[in-house]
Amino acid sequence: MVASDVLAKPVRAVGGFYAMALDTLVAIFRPPFAWREFITQAWFVARVSIVPTLMLTIPYTVLLTFTFNILLREFGAADFSGTGAALGTVRQIGPIVTVLVVAGAGATAMCADLGARTIREELDALRVMGVDPIQALVVPRVLAATLVSLALSATVILVGLAGAYFFCVYIQHVSPGAFAAGLTLIIGALDVTIALIKAALFGLSAGLIACYKGISVGGGPAGVGNAVNETVVFTFMALFAINVVATAVAVRVTM
Amino acid sequence: MSSQPAERTRRPIDRRFPRLAKRLDGYVGAWNHVGTQTKFYGKTLRSIPYVFRYYRIELMRIIAQMGLGTGALVVIGGTVAIVGFLTVTTGALVAVQGYTDFSEIGVEALTGFASAFFNVRLIAPATTAIALAATIGAGATAQLGAMRINEEIDALEVMGIRSVAYLASTRVMAGLIVVIPLYCVGVLASFWAAKFGTTVIYGQSTGVYDHYFRTFLNPTDLVWSFVQSIAMAVVIMLIHTYYGFSASGGPAGVGEAVGRAVRTSLIVAAFVVMMISLAVYGQSGNFNLAG
Repeated sequence: MVASDVLAKPVRAVGGFYAMALDTLVAIFRPPFAWREFITQAWFVARVSIVPTLMLTIPYTVLLTFTFNILLREFGAADFSGTGAALGTVRQIGPIVTVLVVAGAGATAMCADLGARTIREELDALRVMGVDPIQALVVPRVLAATLVSLALSATVILVGLAGAYFFCVYIQHVSPGAFAAGLTLIIGALDVTIALIKAALFGLSAGLIACYKGISVGGGPAGVGNAVNETVVFTFMALFAINVVATAVAVRVTM
Repeated sequence: MSSQPAERTRRPIDRRFPRLAKRLDGYVGAWNHVGTQTKFYGKTLRSIPYVFRYYRIELMRIIAQMGLGTGALVVIGGTVAIVGFLTVTTGALVAVQGYTDFSEIGVEALTGFASAFFNVRLIAPATTAIALAATIGAGATAQLGAMRINEEIDALEVMGIRSVAYLASTRVMAGLIVVIPLYCVGVLASFWAAKFGTTVIYGQSTGVYDHYFRTFLNPTDLVWSFVQSIAMAVVIMLIHTYYGFSASGGPAGVGEAVGRAVRTSLIVAAFVVMMISLAVYGQSGNFNLAG
């Protein structure tokens, strides 16, 4: 009995997640669309994510540019630090920091908020009133996460490039013209588009996982805490896996 | 961790400039918050000797729990599996991105070097920090927050148990001990993923990969990256135990505390990695391509 429970629980959770994802997909195209909730949620996710975005982008870019420049200087190619910065920021730091922010900040806040509503039985109240919680709460949240993730990714890239510029030019004394000239050597519009597509995928998956964990909360304060904890772990795992696969696909596309 | 007093005496400034007064109070509150946090960290670190004197059994229990993970995380293999999985995915990026970028300029033989250089200095410490914050860190906040809401922490105090030493210091110590094997798993997983991707999937010969990997694997760098991850583990556990201890506002409050703790610790861990890297590798870079 116990053994079958241990085995059945994750399978049931995966099944429940897929069921909710499909429900959400169907509900997106079914009017009425909860515009007000969508805008409130987009603002909410953006508000909790913007400071972590800035604070995470700067150290990671500095770290990457620093490590990369050690290498470039060894080759005698420090003037190409702009290329390195663009390569790192657009292809790797941008998506990874977006993952961190969307999973660590956006999804946790969303799951905590939705979990609190579930615990207070607000979702049951909605169902009693004949309102579909998927349509009223989950759809706007998932779409808001996707939209904000897209916007955050662009912010990360801009902040990252600006940070790299300051670090290279003022601390490592690379000439500003060489830095700017190197920026577009390898990285072009296609790479930026791929970075944005990746970010939208991250936001979509993070939103779905956070909403599933939020509406399936149970068991009082410890339950909400654990739900948020599991949201972080599962979104990190899912998004890192998506990142590798998307990178491999993107490499094929751009070759 | 009592919060601010519920009622304040009305000052003249409240009547004349209510908005300004509110904003000022906000700044003062934030400033005081930094103070309370620092005080808690000091107390936690000071109480570590008590852990070894009185709470050794609790320490062992928490180490076991952190290694395996709690709740639904056990099912997918616990903390070790999660750290391993995350570092495998980031290590694979070296193969996916490094190999293709290097082969554009015809030096794909250097992928082994990229694995030895970037995995040790950048990817493994940063990814392990993220995994630690998500698993044992967020788990500690969830547990402690639930205990705070259920007034279990107050009950401990009443029974004469030093709650900070018993709950927070034990977790910081356990994090410090658990991170060492976890980081070994993380580094090895990232090396393995880079090698697997380069040699098996992209089809480079194993000898070429191993040659450049071994040539550029610097043991000193590895030791420093261990130091980095240990420092991060301590900082992450301190932050997460603080947010668990200071949770308030019912079940919703626990969830919010976990979210806030993850946000804060990710940022602080990123800064710790950056600061230690800049301090250790400095301007010289401690790196020599010519051998």
